[in-house]
Amino acid sequence: MPAPIRLRELIRTIRTARTQAEEREMIQKECAAIRSSFREEDNTYRCRNVAKLLYMHMLGYPAHFGQLECLKLIASQKFTDKRIGYLGAMLLLDERQDVHLLMTNCIKNDLNHSTQYVQGLALCTLGCMGSSEMCRDLAGEVEKLLKTSNSYLRKKAALCAVHVIRKVPELMEMFLPATKNLLSEKNHGVLHTSVVLLTEMCERSPDMLSHFRKLVPQLVRILKNLIMSGYSPEHDVSGISDPFLQVRILRLLRILGKGDDDSSEAMNDILAQVATNTETSKNVGNAILYETVLTIMDIKSESGLRVLAINILGRFLLNNDKNIRYVALTSLLKTVQTDHNAVQRHRSTIVDCLKDLDVSIKRRAMELSFALVNGNNIRGMMKELLYFLDSCDPEFKADCASGIFLAAEKYAPSKRWHIDTIMRVLTTAGSYVRDDSVPNLIQLITNSVEMHAYTVQRLYKALLDDISQQPLVQVASWCIGEYGDLLVSGQCEEEEPIQVTEDEVLDVLEGLLVSNLSTPVTRGYSLTAIMKLSTRFSSVNRIKKVVSIYGSSIDVELQQRAVEYNALFKKYDHMRPALLERMPIMEKTATNGPAEIVQTNGETESTILDTKHLPSITQPASQANDLLDLLGGNDVVPVIQTTVPTKPASAGGELLDLLGDLSLTGGPTPTPAPSVPMSQPPFLLDGLTSQPLFNDIAAGIPPMTAYNKNGLKIEFTFERSNPNPNIAVITIHATNSTEVDMTEFVFQAAVPKTFQLQLLSPSSNVVPALNQGSVTQVIRVLNPQKQQLRMRIKLTYTHKGSPVQDLAEVNNFPPQSWQSLPWGCMGSSGIFLTQSRVDGMKTDDDDDDDYSDNDEEKSQISQYISLHYFARLSFSSFGLLGWVDFVSLAWIDCLLHQSPFVICKGGGGRPQ
Amino acid sequence: MMHFLLLFSRQGKLRLQKWFLPLPERERKKIVKDMTTMVLARKPRTCNFLHWKDLKIVYKRYASLYFCCGLESQDNELLALEILHRYVELLDKYFGNVCELDIIFNFEKAYFILDEFLMGGEIQETSKQSIAKSVEASDMLQETMEEYMSKPAF
Repeated sequence: MPAPIRLRELIRTIRTARTQAEEREMIQKECAAIRSSFREEDNTYRCRNVAKLLYMHMLGYPAHFGQLECLKLIASQKFTDKRIGYLGAMLLLDERQDVHLLMTNCIKNDLNHSTQYVQGLALCTLGCMGSSEMCRDLAGEVEKLLKTSNSYLRKKAALCAVHVIRKVPELMEMFLPATKNLLSEKNHGVLHTSVVLLTEMCERSPDMLSHFRKLVPQLVRILKNLIMSGYSPEHDVSGISDPFLQVRILRLLRILGKGDDDSSEAMNDILAQVATNTETSKNVGNAILYETVLTIMDIKSESGLRVLAINILGRFLLNNDKNIRYVALTSLLKTVQTDHNAVQRHRSTIVDCLKDLDVSIKRRAMELSFALVNGNNIRGMMKELLYFLDSCDPEFKADCASGIFLAAEKYAPSKRWHIDTIMRVLTTAGSYVRDDSVPNLIQLITNSVEMHAYTVQRLYKALLDDISQQPLVQVASWCIGEYGDLLVSGQCEEEEPIQVTEDEVLDVLEGLLVSNLSTPVTRGYSLTAIMKLSTRFSSVNRIKKVVSIYGSSIDVELQQRAVEYNALFKKYDHMRPALLERMPIMEKTATNGPAEIVQTNGETESTILDTKHLPSITQPASQANDLLDLLGGNDVVPVIQTTVPTKPASAGGELLDLLGDLSLTGGPTPTPAPSVPMSQPPFLLDGLTSQPLFNDIAAGIPPMTAYNKNGLKIEFTFERSNPNPNIAVITIHATNSTEVDMTEFVFQAAVPKTFQLQLLSPSSNVVPALNQGSVTQVIRVLNPQKQQLRMRIKLTYTHKGSPVQDLAEVNNFPPQSWQSLPWGCMGSSGIFLTQSRVDGMKTDDDDDDDYSDNDEEKSQISQYISLHYFARLSFSSFGLLGWVDFVSLAWIDCLLHQSPFVICKGGGGRPQ
Repeated sequence: MMHFLLLFSRQGKLRLQKWFLPLPERERKKIVKDMTTMVLARKPRTCNFLHWKDLKIVYKRYASLYFCCGLESQDNELLALEILHRYVELLDKYFGNVCELDIIFNFEKAYFILDEFLMGGEIQETSKQSIAKSVEASDMLQETMEEYMSKPAF
């Protein structure tokens, strides 16, 4: 067999390849030759072949078949073989392949070799790719070499020890004795690697950290010598003595001085010295200064020193070298929390960096600029940042937009400014903003009553310019729907009013419905807006037509809206104006961040309880939060979750009342309100399940059966008391499935001492037979510690002439009934909701049929409303609509209390 | 700690790769690809730093070659530039006016020099002379052995 071609020859040949294919062909041919040479166990040329393989590997070709050959080379006695073998092992092998373990023994032998360069190769390989098994096996050898006087081996052993500790931290103790004399070494290689080793140990173990604090004076001395010593050619870099070692010592000092007064005190002087004496005309000097600044900021340094450090960074910002500016911005970002005012002084320089051409610098500058925004500089800073948003690369827009939203929410000087700012963001970077910015802006607009005319006019103009920015279009549609009358009336004090006709406005909205640029969500917004305008504009017929066209849209969501709206026109036209009335003002909410949403909700809640329909007005806000929760991806959420009390429950409760009443056609007037809904299962879900699901969904807490024996069944339903979330209101429903009434029925309950219990009087003491009615009784449980609810109940009654007495323990209360997060259950109810949604679609289709029977119509109406409500809820929980629709439905719910339906609640009459 | 050091040409051809952490081959290739595209896309006269995942990327161009390394967040990127520069100086001293071709044809030497300078992602020797001396001594050892064993060089 002829000698294989030499490595350089191969490289030359491969480089002549003109195409990728040609190169591949050459390599394949060579690989075949190498493989056969490997098969023949050729020792002479193995080294050459592996070297060639390494070259091919670098070009990206597979070379794994050389792994075992590397091991053979390592085992060879020749230095050349070993050198290439170890190099190959470092490149081709890694710890995930078991092959590497075969090396352990060779490395062990080589660590004890008589030639230091062979030992060096073994150390280097172990320190580069040693797995934890290898490290365990060879740590002893490394430790031995760490104690030699040979500095060539000692420095490598030190870094090898670092690697061992990284792989197997529990081996750290083993190296502790060897560290004793490391710092007295004169050789810079050993000194440097020793500092690295000490750093590693200190970072990993608090014990080591306190142990090595005693080294601070020694480290300070070494650093001082480095600064004070004259020119030493061996370690000089542009006039600075061993910057590598200096930086490493500064970093170790930072770790040792952090949170420790004495150590910090001991290094103050030297840090000041380094900070003032370092030559800064070259990068290397700045590297040291930068490290010094970081150390000063991290340890418990004197205030003067900190000012010095920030000023160094300020000087960095003015440096011509972009790298220096970059590190200045990064470090200022780190210190802005602790030394806000000091950083604030460099604001204008930082803002200037926004205009830098370099994206790395721009990004840092943007982050830092947002960190510097406060109530005093908001207008100026926002001007700069909006300008930046306008001109920056797409990669910055999303972050910049959400930064502006946050800052504006936190520090907005006025509502108008806030609205203008958000609108500006939506027009310039609309496609980059997060989904939740739409509901946020709508909420903001709703709250600023005096700005409605102005806002709708601005948004209308923005729509005329551009309908591609979906979030903007959605907000605009919503506002035109709500405030369309203000738009056409042309009353705007803030700005030159514009003259628009109703038809023009409708043209724009219809344009959105057909535009290719519109997303399905946008179309939904637009259709709803058109529907709302039916009560604000005179062109009802046109609107009717549009709505009916979309009744056959292939977009299911749009279709459902259209069908529902159609039904509203046809069957419930008398209710339409009330249903589409303007959204209530959510006073005092959410202009100043999530924390206040919570607060204000809490306030309103406690004050409004006595008026009947006000609770519903305030609900939208909390439900909106709730929905935001469902929609996810909102940082507002965690705060709200923990603090806002149980709004959905009460909303549901009212709806529940309403439906319950409706279903009691012609029946006797129910007396105690809470018992009504349960006395007869609502129509809608009759077929689905026997469980009273409505209550379920509405109250958010599933009911439970507490007792079921001898024909007596006691069910608990839950509601949370409005003013105090710690009170759980449990309504018991006792039913009797036997053929004989149960008389003298007495229900008693006891709870553990941490709770307080209040039993209200029962609705009756007779439980009628054959489930013909129920006895209800309300229990209020105060549970301030939110502990799991437990209850013991005692039942006494007379049945078939004989007294019965029974005791029972109730432990299986649903967690929602005692936990503080009432809407943990929202997700689970989603399952029901999808179900009801399907049914709802069906009913809508049936809607056009004529019902002669009044009762049937009533049930239909109740179904309509309930399905509408739940279907919407379900949609909303899928994030299709956003909270706006949810809110409007809650509003509908509220309006219904004022509509004829309410009458039937009190008098048992029919909806007219 | 440095995670990796890559040398690649202006055309994006890899000339040297040193990994200080065990990574699967596929991931290595991905990193190489990301680094070359990111670094080569940088405009002239921009700063030498980038952010990639949670690493600081420091790169510097010397003639037709890019030197690029990935650092952890607590590492000093200005000093990393000095490390890259020091490596170039070492190559220059060894090859005498080093150029890309020297590194292509003698890539193993470039690795040997690097292994005397860095180890496990940390600097092991801060003196240029010591490094040059030990590389030279190893080469001598190799040559004498080759002569002694009359073994063909690769």
